[in-house]
Amino acid sequence: MIRSILPHKHTLHKLLLVTFFAGATSFVHAEEISSAQVKLIAGTCANCHGTDGKLAGAIPAIAGRPSTVLEAQLLAYKQGLQPNTTVMDRIAKGFSDAELSALADYFANINKD
Amino acid sequence: MSDQKNLFSSSRRQLLKGLGLVSIFPAISACAATGTSKASAGRVVVIGGGFGGATAAKYIKRGNPAIDVTLVEPNKTFYTCPFSNLVLAGERQLDSIGHNYDELQQVYGVKVVHALAQDIDPVAKRVSLSDGQSLQYDKLLLSPGIDMRWNAIEGYDEAAAELAPHAWKAGPQTLILRQQLEAMEDGDTFIMSVPGNPFRCPPGPYERASLVAHYLKQHKPRSKILILDGKDNFSKQGLFTAGWQAHYGDMIEWVSLSNDGRVVRVDAANKEVETEFGTRHKAAALNIIPPQKAGFIADRAGVTDQSGWVPVNPVTFESTQVKDIYVVGDATVAAPMPKSGFAANAQGKVAASAIVAAFAGITPLDPVWANTCYSLINPDYGISVADVYRVQDSQIIAVEGAGGLSAADASDNIRRSEAAYAVGWYNAISQDTWGTKL
Repeated sequence: MIRSILPHKHTLHKLLLVTFFAGATSFVHAEEISSAQVKLIAGTCANCHGTDGKLAGAIPAIAGRPSTVLEAQLLAYKQGLQPNTTVMDRIAKGFSDAELSALADYFANINKD
Repeated sequence: MSDQKNLFSSSRRQLLKGLGLVSIFPAISACAATGTSKASAGRVVVIGGGFGGATAAKYIKRGNPAIDVTLVEPNKTFYTCPFSNLVLAGERQLDSIGHNYDELQQVYGVKVVHALAQDIDPVAKRVSLSDGQSLQYDKLLLSPGIDMRWNAIEGYDEAAAELAPHAWKAGPQTLILRQQLEAMEDGDTFIMSVPGNPFRCPPGPYERASLVAHYLKQHKPRSKILILDGKDNFSKQGLFTAGWQAHYGDMIEWVSLSNDGRVVRVDAANKEVETEFGTRHKAAALNIIPPQKAGFIADRAGVTDQSGWVPVNPVTFESTQVKDIYVVGDATVAAPMPKSGFAANAQGKVAASAIVAAFAGITPLDPVWANTCYSLINPDYGISVADVYRVQDSQIIAVEGAGGLSAADASDNIRRSEAAYAVGWYNAISQDTWGTKL
């Protein structure tokens, strides 16, 4: 089940190439993850970021931030490229790139009020 | 009645489905029993208004507002175990960890009944309450938390807990222990007895020792903390031990199971305990965290197994023993997920999604859970353990390569950030669960 959500390396490579040439980062997003599924995964974010990612405090709100920014940040966490990270590096590693991308889109589309 | 029948005919259902509205209606008789004319997509009774139950009630309503949700919780204010150690240390007031059910009722339309669920008839699908009411359900969700195993330690029963509090359910118990800490003289000993696994909040006792040490260091610096443990290792042990050494020197002494740490007898009136090999210890303040089991209503529902805990289908958190009863939180067997408020909230969302899907006749989604347990060594020094969980081969697994502990060599800045994030987490999960704005 875990394996199925993680694209094969060469598939990912291909997708990244396509993405690069098309200049559209949203291309990878579409694959296989239903909107209901993304919503369920997004529930795991609310424990620290508040319902719908809207709570701003010591931990920042994530709702309504640009998808590209969120995605880049999540991937940086996952790849260990974000210095002085406390916990997001450990959490981001539990999700596929496609899931992180879908989450970025999901929260970008929530009105932060 | 015939009109109603027509309303629930399959063609009507198909039409509604096609319009993306409410998907499936339960049996007509079920609807009539609610006493309202408004169509309900199904009736859910949630028992327990803690992290698991309150979250599930809210997220069922978010998933489908047409589902009729009733939450049964005896208390009007729910005090959280997370951050109750700060109350013990005098860093917070009890009020600041209390939450109510206003948002659930006013924003999400959850019916809240403040009564104790006393019994469950899983065949008639009926819950009987302490106020004489009974509630019918199509799906029941239990988030019963824990009960203490009274007398598992000789001499430790409910009456003894008034003298030697467990403080493992927050509220009045927290205040009894706080008073004992306040009454300690400089040089006195605080003793905490910790059970073997599994129990609620694996790092909790060690955070408690840390924050009590923080209090004693300021006010009674010659005092000692003795942890008598029923096991040989514990959550975040390396981080705790290093933190204790750095901040409290040798104030905290931990006695493992192998070194005669297991308490077998309690004399609560004299604040004295005896361990397995006959060693006696006397305390000025005595905290007995006894062995635990699922809250009693789980027994009544017939969902517990011989272990005293509740086995569940990991994809939906439906009981493996009784159909249409879902169980979340500390009461469940969900290892490697810990018995934590965070996990209960996460499980509540997965069970909510599964219940909404079941009413709609849809296959449940693939669950994902996260958990982060912050612990404070002092209010400015935080450590954490995090994990992401999924289902693989019908088992809950921690995703390999993800999760883990705070770095052993982290800077003071990182520890300070984690302490600030612990507060941020508390505020966020309180908002997510009860709508509390802090």
